[in-house]
Amino acid sequence: MRNVLLIAWREFAENAKTKGFWFGIFTFPAILMLSTQIPMVLEKKATPIRHFVLVDQSGKFDGAISKAVNENEAARMIHAFRDYLAANLAPGKPFPADRQWLNHTPEGLFDLGAALAAVRSVLVSNPPPFLAPRPKFVRAPLPDALASTLPLAELERCLRPYVSDQQRYAPSNGLPPVALFAAVLIPSDYDGGLKSSSRSNAVLRFWSVNQADGELRSRIESAVTSELRLREYQKKGLDAGVIRQIEDIDARVEQFNPLKAVGEEKAGLADTLRQWAPSAFVYLLWVAIFSIAQMLLNGLIEEKSNRIIEVLLSSVTPGELMIGKLVGVAAVGMVMLAAWIGSMVAVLGYFAFTSSHGPMAAGAVANPVSQIPRDLATLLSDTWLLPAFGMYFLLGYVLYASLIMALGSTCNTVKDAQNYMAVIVLFLMVPLLSIPFIPRDPNGSFATLMSWIPPYTPFIMMNRITAHPPAFDVVGTLLLLVLFDALVLWACGRIFRIGVLRTGQPPRFLQALAWIRR
Amino acid sequence: MLPIARRPKVWDDAAGPESAFRPIPALHSSSAFGQSAPVPSPALELHHVSKSFGAFQAVRDLSFAVPQGCVFGFLGPNGAGKTTTLRMVLDIFRPTSGSIAVLGAPSAFDVRHRIGYLPEEKGLYKKMKSWAVIAYLASLKGIDRRTAGRRARVLLERYGLGAVAETKIEALSKGMAQKVQVLAAIAHEPELVIFDEPFSGLDPVNQAVLEEVITTLRSEGRTLVFSTHVMQHAERLCDRLLIMSRGAKIFEGTLKEARRTQPVRVRLHSEEDLDFLSAVPGATGLEARGGGEWELRLTSDADPQAVLEACFARHVRLRSYNAAEPTLHDVFVNLVGPEAREARADA
Repeated sequence: MRNVLLIAWREFAENAKTKGFWFGIFTFPAILMLSTQIPMVLEKKATPIRHFVLVDQSGKFDGAISKAVNENEAARMIHAFRDYLAANLAPGKPFPADRQWLNHTPEGLFDLGAALAAVRSVLVSNPPPFLAPRPKFVRAPLPDALASTLPLAELERCLRPYVSDQQRYAPSNGLPPVALFAAVLIPSDYDGGLKSSSRSNAVLRFWSVNQADGELRSRIESAVTSELRLREYQKKGLDAGVIRQIEDIDARVEQFNPLKAVGEEKAGLADTLRQWAPSAFVYLLWVAIFSIAQMLLNGLIEEKSNRIIEVLLSSVTPGELMIGKLVGVAAVGMVMLAAWIGSMVAVLGYFAFTSSHGPMAAGAVANPVSQIPRDLATLLSDTWLLPAFGMYFLLGYVLYASLIMALGSTCNTVKDAQNYMAVIVLFLMVPLLSIPFIPRDPNGSFATLMSWIPPYTPFIMMNRITAHPPAFDVVGTLLLLVLFDALVLWACGRIFRIGVLRTGQPPRFLQALAWIRR
Repeated sequence: MLPIARRPKVWDDAAGPESAFRPIPALHSSSAFGQSAPVPSPALELHHVSKSFGAFQAVRDLSFAVPQGCVFGFLGPNGAGKTTTLRMVLDIFRPTSGSIAVLGAPSAFDVRHRIGYLPEEKGLYKKMKSWAVIAYLASLKGIDRRTAGRRARVLLERYGLGAVAETKIEALSKGMAQKVQVLAAIAHEPELVIFDEPFSGLDPVNQAVLEEVITTLRSEGRTLVFSTHVMQHAERLCDRLLIMSRGAKIFEGTLKEARRTQPVRVRLHSEEDLDFLSAVPGATGLEARGGGEWELRLTSDADPQAVLEACFARHVRLRSYNAAEPTLHDVFVNLVGPEAREARADA
């Protein structure tokens, strides 16, 4: 036992005492955090202002398109204004009950003056000025030299150098030259190209080099479609106001979960999270098992290739060596996971605290997304997620680490080992690929069947754990997994005992199996 | 097994580096245990040991014994079966047939804390510090971690590596790392030390340091078995020798006995005819090499002085006379045959 602990401690120290290990541990949550924050920052700061020109020779869609673009900008302004309000709300002042300022003007614009006037009484004295976000899409007028009445072909020829960024576009309103993101040209006979004998074949022509950013195109398409439908309704004699009213109708649906306590059956975002959160843990489990198994393999190959193994085996048994290494690297894995989960809980806790104590907490602006950290924190504290994760990590680790130790013991070089590792990785891909499917039907036949295959049990059962799987599945698969782990550990120990002293070519599969019986 | 086999603490922590290892009294004094001197059992004994790997027979019917306190040289060309034998001694491999007794135990594993081992292929944990490697390997041999750490530092200091005690192995030169490994093999004060090719890869300065280590171990009464194919080291250090070839023992005995297996060669230089030397007692052959040079072969027990006396009796004028004993290298080459060329190249 003493030797096992000595070996385990060395394995642990070898990995855990390095700066690289801790750097790796803390960069993982940092990367996770940055991967959510960077797109938001880029969206705010790095997205350039997209200028576009619109020529509507039909005269039917200009207003609708302008309004749609304005409404998009207004929504961004409102979002920024909310943040401004939250940051400058006077202590003790309630959030203004009147939310008229949230509405757009008839042209779809945000009335900043009205909004500031509406909230002035609840702001701190001398608040900083509101900094409006940069607009995302700006319509640029045609240059003086170009008349909107020119034939479309001629307009396209003239605009082409600007849209393809060969020339900077100088709008007529005296603004400095800009890059032209898109040119939107609507022919005079454009009617949407509806399939009717009486309709033309004209199409709305959207010119742009950038095919990746489809937001403007989609907004214009949506605005024009609405306008076309409105006109069709009107042609059929329907009143425009009535149509708007009808279009505003949304089906109200509420979801209920019969497994919840009576009176609390209503399902919300927290319930959706509850179903999907285990998937994140399965992914974490997969990454943890895979990465620390690599540590184990590299350590063993190092010992084999430089023959330290002989010195070790003159002092300890192969069994002590194997168990010591398993325990040491498991401890490394536990530290790594504890650090990951700890940092995740800390971040969630912080967000949960700010969302429940901050100025927005009064619920002035209902924002279900802001509830996510609190719901997740509740989920972690109220369910078996964390204990189950620890248990399945250990059982999954013992299983795969034993296999990898046996594999590593038969190889003399990392290259040899990597060839064989590919088989294990292929095997491990199945639970990884099943991650998105299990939460959709956590107690279905596929999930149940997979749960009873011991190498997959840790991943599949982890993914089912918050979906109330039958007790028979939970206990039965757990017992089977423990027995299978013991069997694999024993068999791998037999292979390790012989393989670890072997040099030359790795054995054939059947030869390795024969070692188990020897 | 001798009663001196396990002593809980033979390290004198306060005594300083020069007295780092205490001698094993039983091996130096027959009355060490206050009783009449027993005949010590061999530290290592192999009895008809063979080892096969599939169809290949690596070791064939090998028997020998290593007395306690002896420096035992294990010689043979590459592939002779030296390393396989040492691995069997350490119970890393099991013999296909035959038996091995190590420090009186049927398996080295039973007495593993009393054995130090330096493998042929040298390697250490690259990311560990010098002192930590020595301490770790010593602690696996049953020494408590604190004592092991202290011993590691003392040993490094003693053998000129004190300045690199805190240096990682990967930053050491090959020779330094090898010295660290040698120290790791002896830090737990083993009674039986097994070095497999300890001199390979060392520069002459470090070879001298290693010779000093071996000499020190011998002076402390420890038994040392080392394999080599560098004859000069074996010649200088070994009390007894075993020469192997193709898995079998071809010689076992002292250096003197080894030399006796070869004829004594007397080289003479004279312008006169020396044919009369064929009649000298013990002469087995005479060769005229031209230019006045002659070589006379004598049986190992013949007296070369008789050659000189025969020349004086006939008033022969000699320009030179050289009666050199055969070197271990000569013995090795003659016993091992063509395979020895390999060893000569390595030497």
